[in-house]
Amino acid sequence: MKALGVLQGEFLESLLRDDEAPPRVAIYRRNVLAALSGALEAAYPVTLRLVGAAFFLEAARTFARATPSTSGDLHAYGGEFPEFLSGYSHARALDYLADVARLEWACHESSLAADAGGFDFEALARVPPQRAAAIRFTLAPAVRLVASPHPVVSIWEANQPGRDGTPRTTTGAEHALVWRADGEVRVERLGEGEWGALAAFARGATLAEASGCLGADAAAFLGDGLARHVRDGIVAAFAAPGEAM
Amino acid sequence: MAAQGAPVVGIGLRAPHYAQVLERRPDLAFLEVHSENFFGDGGAPLAWLERFRGAYPLSLHGVGLSLGSADTLQERHLAKLEALVHRFEPLLVSEHLSWSSIGGRHANDLLPLPYTEEALALVIERVDRVQERLGRPILLENVSTYHAFAESSIPEWEFVAEVARASACRLLLDVNNVHVNAFNHGFDARRYLAAIDPASVAEIHLAGFEEADGCLIDTHGAPVSPEVWSLYEAAVARFGAQPTLIEWDTDIPALDVLLGEARKARAILVPREVGATARALP
Repeated sequence: MKALGVLQGEFLESLLRDDEAPPRVAIYRRNVLAALSGALEAAYPVTLRLVGAAFFLEAARTFARATPSTSGDLHAYGGEFPEFLSGYSHARALDYLADVARLEWACHESSLAADAGGFDFEALARVPPQRAAAIRFTLAPAVRLVASPHPVVSIWEANQPGRDGTPRTTTGAEHALVWRADGEVRVERLGEGEWGALAAFARGATLAEASGCLGADAAAFLGDGLARHVRDGIVAAFAAPGEAM
Repeated sequence: MAAQGAPVVGIGLRAPHYAQVLERRPDLAFLEVHSENFFGDGGAPLAWLERFRGAYPLSLHGVGLSLGSADTLQERHLAKLEALVHRFEPLLVSEHLSWSSIGGRHANDLLPLPYTEEALALVIERVDRVQERLGRPILLENVSTYHAFAESSIPEWEFVAEVARASACRLLLDVNNVHVNAFNHGFDARRYLAAIDPASVAEIHLAGFEEADGCLIDTHGAPVSPEVWSLYEAAVARFGAQPTLIEWDTDIPALDVLLGEARKARAILVPREVGATARALP
């Protein structure tokens, strides 16, 4: 008799194929595809709205057969869907679609990321002013930064529930900050310089290095921008000069 | 376990009812949630669960451990579950007598086991390891199935009874699944109940099925059927007033519909207190 692992391997294989299946096996096949496409629909509601249910389901099926789920937790499924969409021939006319999906996956990850601890203002006050430029700020676990040559934030905003789907602009690059306030994920459009400074923090840059991204906006960022990001819990911690990260 | 003495009925809590349950605080003995919905590191889901935990005893019901897979147990999944169990100290922890992954690929569905000696030995060993890891007993649920492996050599009811006997776990008896399988595979549901040791059942699930092409499908998307209520009465007569849960996962109705089903279950658990129970519930 076949070993358990062989029986299971053959059965799972039969669920992922696209041929004729006995009716009872077809029930499982439908269940599996419903679970996987349902997880994608939950993570990518704007993408779904942009392409419509039938297109989305067909894309989800094609993706599912090529990219099996690797976790018993469906929230972990679908991170490669944007990459799949960027090469999906039927979506070629929608050049912004994959980047909108990237923004949505960033939102999905943000929603489940760890909570940040409180910012240690007292420790910051103890850093001597002459060493402030060497501080390395770190971002909260729920922060994600997405940049695109397409107006992805405008498209995302226009396709939220209750909105009519018309973006404020249809051209131009946009830089998105994804963060979380009171458990709720927020998406915000940032200027390129400010976005670049936060991205530099995410890479472990010092305050001086990050300010280099800002050009003429450096003064405004150091005055109000940084303070706002700290207040909103976007910048969550820092390493003082000489401290290990 | 709170089951002793007072008969207790709970509902499977899903996102559309989160806010209402906290606001209305319906008279329920416990809330059951899917463990994997709280596997994130932080954010809103865990904040909700903290609030539910403050208001009701919890039951963590896993759908993704793939206990019956010939693959090794998934360490990452088990570690997440362990952390959740330690943080929330649930009243009950349960998983399914099934598998959902092989070769690292997941179907994210509860797939049928071939009922063989090999599968039996594997499940018993896995249950022992999970219980040891979590430091507490778990409940195992019988699943609904549509496909039967020609390789099966043990009737499902004997397989289920033997898992409970040989490992220290108890059973989460899904009465709807017994009915669905009896219909789909042509056996007597009451014979199934009679094969299970009365002391091994520690929770009962009730849900609705739908029929398609001569097969009953466990959709959790309909009211509990009259046949399943009748089988539930037989189960209560044999296994006693075990904690009972109403599950509804697709086409989720208004909370009051679930509470109505919970009331019906309670009426069967405590026939003499039907009037009092109905008044006590909102």
